[in-house]
Amino acid sequence: MITIEQKMRKIESTTAAMARRQATASRRYRLLREVLNIIKYAILLVFAFIFIMPFVWSVFWALKTDLEIGRNPFSLPVPPRWENIPKVWIQGRYSQYLPNTLIYGFAITTGVCFFSCLAGYGLAKIAFPGRRLIFNFLLIGLMVPFFSLMIPLYTMMRDFGILGTRWALIIPGIGLGVPFGTFLMRSFFLSLPNELADAARIDGCNEWGVFAQVMLPLAGPGLTTLAVFEFMWTWNMFIEPLLFIQRDELRPVGLAIFFFQSRYTVDRGMVAAGILLTAAPIVIMYLLLQRKFIEGVTAGALK
Amino acid sequence: MLSQIRGLTKITVRRFWGKYGAGYLFVLPTVVLYLIFMVYPFCYTFYLSFTDWNGASPIKNFVGLANYARFFRDRLVWISLQHNLIWMTAGTVVPITLGLFLAMLLWGRPKGFLTFRTVYFLPQVLGAGILGVMWRLIYQPRRGVLFQIGQVLGIEAFRYSPIAYAHTALPAVMVAAIWASTGFFFVIMLAGLQNVDMDLMDAAQVDGADAWQRFRNVVIPQLSHVITLVTALALIGGIKEFGLIWAVTQGGPGNATEMIATHAYTEFSRHSDVGYASALTMLIAAIAFVFTMIFILVREREMEV
Repeated sequence: MITIEQKMRKIESTTAAMARRQATASRRYRLLREVLNIIKYAILLVFAFIFIMPFVWSVFWALKTDLEIGRNPFSLPVPPRWENIPKVWIQGRYSQYLPNTLIYGFAITTGVCFFSCLAGYGLAKIAFPGRRLIFNFLLIGLMVPFFSLMIPLYTMMRDFGILGTRWALIIPGIGLGVPFGTFLMRSFFLSLPNELADAARIDGCNEWGVFAQVMLPLAGPGLTTLAVFEFMWTWNMFIEPLLFIQRDELRPVGLAIFFFQSRYTVDRGMVAAGILLTAAPIVIMYLLLQRKFIEGVTAGALK
Repeated sequence: MLSQIRGLTKITVRRFWGKYGAGYLFVLPTVVLYLIFMVYPFCYTFYLSFTDWNGASPIKNFVGLANYARFFRDRLVWISLQHNLIWMTAGTVVPITLGLFLAMLLWGRPKGFLTFRTVYFLPQVLGAGILGVMWRLIYQPRRGVLFQIGQVLGIEAFRYSPIAYAHTALPAVMVAAIWASTGFFFVIMLAGLQNVDMDLMDAAQVDGADAWQRFRNVVIPQLSHVITLVTALALIGGIKEFGLIWAVTQGGPGNATEMIATHAYTEFSRHSDVGYASALTMLIAAIAFVFTMIFILVREREMEV
């Protein structure tokens, strides 16, 4: 006959064994998780390296002479050759390209934001017959490729007598940006509550007053997303100025870098410094306003 | 009688205007811009594609479908279409897979999430021009970055600039394109993953599904909307591809990287063959339209399920 004590001991030993087994299992599991975690971070780092290296090289090269780049392209720029930067600014004519880009950026962004805000609000918050139709009509514009518009736009600019001037980039830039802007602002205004507008209407506010005094002040987040996206878009314009702007001194940086590179094929330090001056402003803007960039590009995917 | 009707319509119009006028006024400027800069140019391109206009002469002869018939004789159209097809296939499959893979690794915001996201998305803020110049530096003959990497690793093939040879030029530009676009797909996938039902994941785990089964049978079905969307976007972007190609190779060497868009641009700007270039751009628009329609149909079917 087994005493109670023996029974207790037996139970104890089995539970202890189970616990021990569990402990090794969980230790093994934890070890496995640790290893997986290390592999995961290794992969993430490799990709981070791949995505960031071309930027790092551009900065390094911008601060080296061509000879130094030839000797070792991957080394740190010691001592840094700052002289490439003023050379790009003056000889490389970036003192013209950068102000041009800012002019295009501000003009197109302001124009697109202005018209898109009005239309987006009208389509989202004012009921009128045919607004669904107008919205769908504008939506089709989002999928029309620029290429199937470029030839008439070119001849239009020529007939207006503004081909080769800044206006040839600004005016169609606004026209082509507005459908997407309207789409974005409409969905933003739709997310705002109707009660505020209705309250203002009951208080005797007319439609313009409701828009300007009640809704517009609330549109800040939507407007900044649109503005950031539009600004980035103008900064990077390539085919539009290639078509509409032939004079080098009117080119924006996004295209100027392309012609700049062919002027300095033998001096890689200069080309890299050109890349640096073209990319740095927009990259800094991205680092500061990252969320807005991601929002804008995600929504702009439809453009 | 007549004056009565006229009076009535006047009242109706006035009442209608009073009620809805504001709405139309808000939308009017945008609609006018849209008509001038999109609708009119599109229709005009369509018209030009039936003419032999050279862009300058006052005479435009109507030539019917001649420009479209020329597609079948133009060897470059077929070469370009092939390149577009390769571009669309690789430019869809690779960055979407990579983007999804990276998004899965960063799902649940592990340590360093923000840094990784910032870095992966970084190439997206660059335009075609700057990307092209950057990658030309990397692919530079004899002394470029790729050459130096080849020296270090002892890879013989990297001694030649890939964009200088017909058989490597297209893959080389595609590598640049994939490098630039993966961050975009990654961010979209990340947003899609946020909507995946975690209860379902837990339930699958309790039922003994391993990681791959959970991915295959729980995550993918819930991401299907997002995957359809990005696939459509990549395909439409692929048929319109111009900027990066032009900035890196301008369609060369020979016609090794010629796309429909670069072909159309060359016909327009170098050969002033406006009629034919218009027909080519209509081809781009038609293919983009077909993809959009397929996308909408697939999406509607998904909604029903």
